[in-house]
Amino acid sequence: MNDSSWSIFVVLLVLASFIVVGLRQKSRESQEYGFGGRYTGRIGGGAAIASNWMSAASLMGLAGIIYLQGYQGLAYVIGWTGGYVLLLVLLASQIRRFGKFTAPEFVGERYGSQAARAIAAAISIAISIIYCVAQFKGIGLIFSFMFGIDYQQGVTYGALAVVSYLVISGMLGVPRNQQLQYLVISVSFIVPLMWLARKLGYFWLLPQFGYGRALTDLSRQFNIDFTLPFANGSLYQWCALCFTLMVGTAGLPHVLSRFYTVPNVRDARWSVVWGLFFIALIYWSAPAFSVFGRLLEARSGLIPDPAAARDAADVIALKTAVWAGLPGWLVGVLAAGALSAAFFTVAGLLMTGAASISHDIYYSMVNRSASESARMQVAKGGTLVLAAIVLLLALDPPGLIAEITAVAFALAGNTIFPLFLLGIWWGRANRYGAIAGMLTGIVCTAIAPLCGGIFPQLALLFPVTSSALLGAPLVIAVMIAVSLATPAPSEEMGRFLEKEVHGHLD
Amino acid sequence: MSQPEKNYQVNLLRPKQGHMRDEVLIILAILFGWGVCTFGFQLLVYLCRGTGAGSLLTRLTLFNLPLHFWFTGQFLPLWFIVLCVVFNLYVDRITEYHSRKRDKSYE
Repeated sequence: MNDSSWSIFVVLLVLASFIVVGLRQKSRESQEYGFGGRYTGRIGGGAAIASNWMSAASLMGLAGIIYLQGYQGLAYVIGWTGGYVLLLVLLASQIRRFGKFTAPEFVGERYGSQAARAIAAAISIAISIIYCVAQFKGIGLIFSFMFGIDYQQGVTYGALAVVSYLVISGMLGVPRNQQLQYLVISVSFIVPLMWLARKLGYFWLLPQFGYGRALTDLSRQFNIDFTLPFANGSLYQWCALCFTLMVGTAGLPHVLSRFYTVPNVRDARWSVVWGLFFIALIYWSAPAFSVFGRLLEARSGLIPDPAAARDAADVIALKTAVWAGLPGWLVGVLAAGALSAAFFTVAGLLMTGAASISHDIYYSMVNRSASESARMQVAKGGTLVLAAIVLLLALDPPGLIAEITAVAFALAGNTIFPLFLLGIWWGRANRYGAIAGMLTGIVCTAIAPLCGGIFPQLALLFPVTSSALLGAPLVIAVMIAVSLATPAPSEEMGRFLEKEVHGHLD
Repeated sequence: MSQPEKNYQVNLLRPKQGHMRDEVLIILAILFGWGVCTFGFQLLVYLCRGTGAGSLLTRLTLFNLPLHFWFTGQFLPLWFIVLCVVFNLYVDRITEYHSRKRDKSYE
């Protein structure tokens, strides 16, 4: 077998192993553990949080954006880790005590309004779609890289593969083993990196810290300075992006839903810490791929022009592995890690989005007497429709993986985060405030692409990937103003918030 | 429990006496540590550019990485983990303290 067929073989092997392990786990679970078998403690809960989080944006996009923008790209690293601090201190235990885990359900319950719930559902679906476009781009790039086909073909085959995977695992009822997934994803990212560092002659045991010398070599020998602060964007852009990703992390519907599987508040809090540690392991490594990639490029004497660099950025981790002459199976391992991260993120998001269509929109708004099987049909149809929309958008992706993903974070940070924050920490927030806030948030997110041409000043203040630095405070202000101008929410909700959510130890 | 509080409105900035007040204090402290190290440091790097302190920030190396790059790329994620651990330890402590005060088993 040649190198690329080795890669394909490894990728198929990994995906098949997930199904096999899932099937074994399923039969064992029903016999031995019952419903309690899914819980494996704080570390396991942390691994589940991390694997739920890992996507093409973490494994491909991050290395790509740092390769392209150097220090400016670190805003993604900080934004995507620092958001967990916000999530932990402001929302995690309170949401758990509130008892509603999906964003539309929380909004519907807390603000007592079907309209607010429908808007929240539409926003979550939009977030899923944008997020999935980035994942599809990753899957398409890996497919075109492995099979040597062009991107459009790659993304089409990739979409087919994802949908068939969903159908197969849905038919077999295979549970998602997120701890195993995290292990596979992280090992398949870090082992090739260690190999790479060793091959290039740097400290390979901890390549996360060993790439410092490569950085020095890069600037001494080739005069490429990766670390110059604010060379590729202003201080405002850096902070706006970082802040947006942080509040987006704390407002992303599929992240908020993660507190299900852990039995009590204390374990839920501690598993966030472990989850953050596991995520940080990957995020300490990603810059190393970018630096090694630049170095190998510089050594071969090929400095690409900006357009070519932008095209190469999202697959820089794979390209670096190939340039360094890593064995084909190891390149396959790397591709398998990135592919499974993207696959499972897409699967989770499509299913959540479809559940939202069937539950929050079809059942609650359209047809209250719909039977269980009719709702199931809607959910299945919804998955296909969502996948088709995502595929159409992904055929001509508007940006780098990390950039597309950031737009989903901006939308979440501008809408869901303020809604949860005030919903939990301010008893006076009411449904009118919530609806006005969500609409303001949507406008803030969409203002740069829609009106950027007419009002370039606005586009500078609300950049499409980082609109939440001004957007989120604005939405909060609108929510407070509108809530104060309209009648207070029901007494019952106020008592519930005071006694159950905040008063559990009075 | 003893005196019924009438008309209390949940508000992050005006927490109730007792457990919630302790919790809000640690939340604000953690958020302070989070904001200063993330955004304050970037502002520092920006303001010091071109000065002696600025070149100290960008030339001094740790693990062969320039100081500012090391701080942002490697130290900050670690700092976030530390903040989360501190928060959890503290909340565990006040929860136990108030549970005991209330003479009720833990959660």
